[in-house]
Amino acid sequence: MPAAPSKRVKGTQIRRHFLIGNTAHVLPSPGFPDPPPDGHTKGWTVYVRPLPNGPDITTWLKKVQFKLHHTYTDASRTIEAPGPFEVSETGYGEFGVEIRLYFAQESGEKAVYREHYLVLAAYGSDDQRARQERENKIVAERLETIEFNEPTQEFFKTLTSEEQFNWLKVKKGRGKGKKPDFIFEGAVEPTAQLPEKASEPGQAGAGGAWSVQYERQVLAQLQQSAAALDHSIEQEKRAMEERRRRLEEVGGAIGAK
Amino acid sequence: MTTRSDIIAALPLDFAATVDPVRAAPSAARATPNQPIARRRRLHKKPALRNRGRAAHWTYDTSIPPTRRDQLQVRRWRRAAPPSDSADTSPAASKFAKYDIKAEVPAYDDETYAQHLTHPDWTKDETDRLFATYEDCYGKWPVIADHYVADSHKTMEEMKSRFYSISATLLNLQTPMTAMTASEYSAYDVLKSFDPLKEASRKKLAEGHLRRPRNEVDEETVLLSELQRIMLHQNTLDSEREDLRRRLQHPVADQNGYQYSTSQALTTLWQQLLAADRMKKTQRLRPLDISGARPSQSGAAANLPGADTTTSATPQTAQQSVVDMSKQDLQRFGVMVVQAGQEKLPTGISFASDKLSKPRVAKSSLQTDKIAATLTHIGVPELIPLPTLAVVEQFERIMAKMQVLLDLRKVAEKEEQELRVRGAEMGV
Repeated sequence: MPAAPSKRVKGTQIRRHFLIGNTAHVLPSPGFPDPPPDGHTKGWTVYVRPLPNGPDITTWLKKVQFKLHHTYTDASRTIEAPGPFEVSETGYGEFGVEIRLYFAQESGEKAVYREHYLVLAAYGSDDQRARQERENKIVAERLETIEFNEPTQEFFKTLTSEEQFNWLKVKKGRGKGKKPDFIFEGAVEPTAQLPEKASEPGQAGAGGAWSVQYERQVLAQLQQSAAALDHSIEQEKRAMEERRRRLEEVGGAIGAK
Repeated sequence: MTTRSDIIAALPLDFAATVDPVRAAPSAARATPNQPIARRRRLHKKPALRNRGRAAHWTYDTSIPPTRRDQLQVRRWRRAAPPSDSADTSPAASKFAKYDIKAEVPAYDDETYAQHLTHPDWTKDETDRLFATYEDCYGKWPVIADHYVADSHKTMEEMKSRFYSISATLLNLQTPMTAMTASEYSAYDVLKSFDPLKEASRKKLAEGHLRRPRNEVDEETVLLSELQRIMLHQNTLDSEREDLRRRLQHPVADQNGYQYSTSQALTTLWQQLLAADRMKKTQRLRPLDISGARPSQSGAAANLPGADTTTSATPQTAQQSVVDMSKQDLQRFGVMVVQAGQEKLPTGISFASDKLSKPRVAKSSLQTDKIAATLTHIGVPELIPLPTLAVVEQFERIMAKMQVLLDLRKVAEKEEQELRVRGAEMGV
């Protein structure tokens, strides 16, 4: 007997990493209209994507609405599952794209807004910029982690089913009256966690850069910052001691007066 | 003392009449006596004056006030008193004699001086003269300082110091300190404790106060009011500082957990907690006997877990079915199970990246700017692109430290201000 849809699984949280970002190219570039519309210099694609080798994003994400700048015709673009959830356009200016995420029906959750600010110009260190210009490809994306807190029982079931990884597998043995077998042929077992290592560097934009390795880099950087902060706190404390001493001195002098 | 009536009595009658027209009026109206006039006559007591009739006699004589030792001749008007009134006839000197109080001057002879009272700055002659002047001037120090003539210039404080020290020594010689009465001792103490330097500086200070310019007075008023304000806020500031220091330190447990080290003690504690929990409306603790006792029982309990699952309609067992997943699977599907005691989950959907951006925004924009500046200073990027659990935890740790730092800086500002004001106070 299926549980009531409103019943939630207490004390659990399911996390899913996904990417929000955009790629941009200087026109003319393959895949965009040539010649470009009047005044448009950049072609870009804004997207919501799963991590490579992760569970299927369409398990929980059913529809994405991209709200572009109001000067675009038909500024509100809606993409339904199975996606891909992305919008390609040409333009000349950067603006914030409002992205509305619609969830699977059994989740019982309302749609949620996220925002992504388009990046069309090269950014980062000189090295990064040079590479971006050479490849005529700018990738600006961030990892988002969505947390489903105490999901409904049904939603919990779909989020923990093996079928989420089917999209990465190859169907085999499509016999009569037999369910197809899904065989995974990649090197690394798919998982909802971050991959241990970044895949080959050329895959930026497909989410290949996100890895535990990168997480460690970020952590190390933050730890350095924390150490700097500790240092400042130490300094403040010492200054405080000093001030207290001076206060006592001055107070004593005034008292003597 | 002559009163007005005395003077009037002394004047000739007709003179009084010309001077005082009010008095003259009734005499004219006397020809036709009637009620109002009679009343007025009574009011002015004219008859009493006239009835006395005789004028008083005054003499202008020369006398020597007995309090003067120089032969000063003083002439003054004096009423020639009628022989009957003896109180008036007493000489003027006796009237003021009660004010003629000799200053008490301690006396010493040559031997005592030589033995006890010598002083490098004072000769015997000078000392003698000081004591004489003191007696002459009735112990009024400004007058003494004015009258005293010495070979070397002496300030009032030096004279006072010399005089008091000699007085004290003589007093001590007269009655040894152990035999002194309370009043004697207090006098001795006052004499002994005279400090010429302190006295001089006190006077100089008072004199300085007389010559202060206006702006200095204003400045002092401002500083004093500021000081008063600080004193008023001292309490709150102290308590705030105390609070901060307490926060920076570890909480110290006031009792150790040693008493619960045996299993028996732990069981007692559990029973206590359970009993306390039963009193509450929402019970959070469940008695041990169902799940805890069963495995320890006999082999008959072996088939019971199966029975357990058949009765699994409660959310508790539903949760257990979640936990049933292997650790590997949990990780694979990104499931987190909240342990008991951890903070409660928010409902619905949340984004981990919000935990990296929301703490940066404080209530006031000023505070937000401060946080941003400090974060930039320590090298935390504005956008952390990877909101994993470890990163969020690290970031939260940083933000907690940041709060401490900002609190410290706030207190620092206050204390600096206080120091400045106190420094200014010192300078005045």
